[in-house]
Amino acid sequence: MATVTANRPSTSVASSVPATRRRRRRGRGAPIGPAMWVAVVVVVLFVLLPIAWMLLSSFKGPASIGTTSILPHPWTTSNYVSAFGGNGSGDTSGRYILNSVIVAVSTTALVLVLGTLAGYGLGRMPMRGKLPLMMVLLMISVFPAIAVIAPLFLIMKSIGWLNSYQALILPYTAFNLPFAIWILRNYLMGIPKEMEETGRIDGASPLRTLWSIILPQALPGLFTAGIFTFTACWTEFLMALSFNSDNNFRTIPVGISQFGGQYSVPYGMYFATSCVAAIPIAVLVLVFRKSVVSGLTSGAVKG
Amino acid sequence: MAVADPLAASSAVPAGEPPGGTAPTVVGRHDAFRRRLARLGWSFSAPALIVIAAVTIFPIVYSVIMSFSKVNVSGNGYSLNGLTLHNYSLVVNYGPWRYALVFTVLYTVVTVSIELVVGTAFALVLERMTRGRGLLMAILLIPWSLITVISAELWSYMYDQQYGIIDAIFRAVGLGSPSILGSAAPSIAALCVADIWKTTPFVAIIVLAGLVMLPRDVYEAAEVDGASGWTTFWKITFPLLRPTIALAVLFRVLQAFGLFDLPFVLTHGGPGFATTPLAILGYNVMFQDFLFGPGAAIATTTALLVVIGCLLFLKVFRAQVGSEIS
Repeated sequence: MATVTANRPSTSVASSVPATRRRRRRGRGAPIGPAMWVAVVVVVLFVLLPIAWMLLSSFKGPASIGTTSILPHPWTTSNYVSAFGGNGSGDTSGRYILNSVIVAVSTTALVLVLGTLAGYGLGRMPMRGKLPLMMVLLMISVFPAIAVIAPLFLIMKSIGWLNSYQALILPYTAFNLPFAIWILRNYLMGIPKEMEETGRIDGASPLRTLWSIILPQALPGLFTAGIFTFTACWTEFLMALSFNSDNNFRTIPVGISQFGGQYSVPYGMYFATSCVAAIPIAVLVLVFRKSVVSGLTSGAVKG
Repeated sequence: MAVADPLAASSAVPAGEPPGGTAPTVVGRHDAFRRRLARLGWSFSAPALIVIAAVTIFPIVYSVIMSFSKVNVSGNGYSLNGLTLHNYSLVVNYGPWRYALVFTVLYTVVTVSIELVVGTAFALVLERMTRGRGLLMAILLIPWSLITVISAELWSYMYDQQYGIIDAIFRAVGLGSPSILGSAAPSIAALCVADIWKTTPFVAIIVLAGLVMLPRDVYEAAEVDGASGWTTFWKITFPLLRPTIALAVLFRVLQAFGLFDLPFVLTHGGPGFATTPLAILGYNVMFQDFLFGPGAAIATTTALLVVIGCLLFLKVFRAQVGSEIS
């Protein structure tokens, strides 16, 4: 299959769902019966119950967090208050969230700028050896981080970057770029060639053509790449744990994993912080559901 | 090694690009114009490629060198002196490494197999749903979007022997109080369940994406021939889905092989070394014992296994994956 047919971004589930629904056929077996509904309910419960448990537990006070009672009694917001700096305990969770936001937003911006340029070059310019290059990129994006952690740690140590924002922004940018390039390239390839000629005839520079003519067409791709990068930064643990151990630079996953002392596990605070940390991503994912699904599938399904 | 410099890798390949697919205009008319565009392409791609090379490829190479060196770490620096195979002989003869290797491989095989079967089954159900599919997909995305550390804390709370709801359920149905995270086999099972909870939805969504794109007419023909649902699945759906499944498996296997966050928080790799995969072992050797040489050897062997696995996989599934990637 040639490159021409393989990369139409519009062929993801998200966009093809309405199409299939419209021409719903009776072709593939009967519609789902009671047994399948049971399966659906079981799966939904399996997925949602732990989340519900986390949400409920975040409202349990010291009296009920250590029991197996289902509902909190009484309902209390004390976990949220102590995680976010009420009664003088220090706003640690707020700091972690701020750190995560700074790192994730900077990384996402960098990835989108560099990824768009590279995706444009690799998607629309007649460069030699693009395919092997794309394969190498694909492999890098899934390479286990443990393979680079030691040298990166030692390099950062020697240039004094440990416990800083750039200690995470730079590696996150590098590890998220391959996937972003992959997605953006697919979107950019689907844009008709005539668009560029319009720009060239008007005498616009290549960068100007990319910015004002091509980029607006690739907005869905930018969304998808952006959401994936942001989510990856928000959830990354190994590098954040290794490079930023200082409390002032901890991101949420590291902060949560380091809560508590030797003798007690403050689950209430865990869950209060977790709920607050999970909400932005959950909202992002739910609102941009179609972009997420098309991103998840663009690695696996095209054509 | 597939981790060669991308620029070098690219020049080794002749211009085998299908003409017309990617060139913006008038292929073959102006070679000079084409060359200019190619140069433009490289200069557009250069910043990204340099960042990637600096932070991934260079450290990987450096890690390999370190694994063959005597590494001395002092208070505010480190030095490499002398080539040696000592790091590797240490690692290979280290019991926990052998265990971690077996554990990581088995864990990957078991979790990915279960996720694949359950995920595919659920995708088949989803595909038939006429209503509520969008809502269901949104629900499925929730565990995927959750920070792994959070889900690890959540499961550890639920598995706890005193106040864990799962332990309470075991007691309620008369299975006693199993102390799930207290002994090896239950810990491993607990880890697998938490992993399956988080990633099966991911597999289901990818497979669903493949399903909705399958050609309809084949199914109509099968129905005319009176094929049963089971036969239809094995003779038509599964072969057509193979490329999708192959890539989903590749992604999941690579992720599972780098397993770190979940056991690090949920079981702390324990009890003992029972749930210590290669990544945690490497991390502990490097950042707790400060043995960067052996740590680099563990990291390098892990990376090498990943690369070998990838290449074997691409060789076996070349036909399928090739058509997907090109």
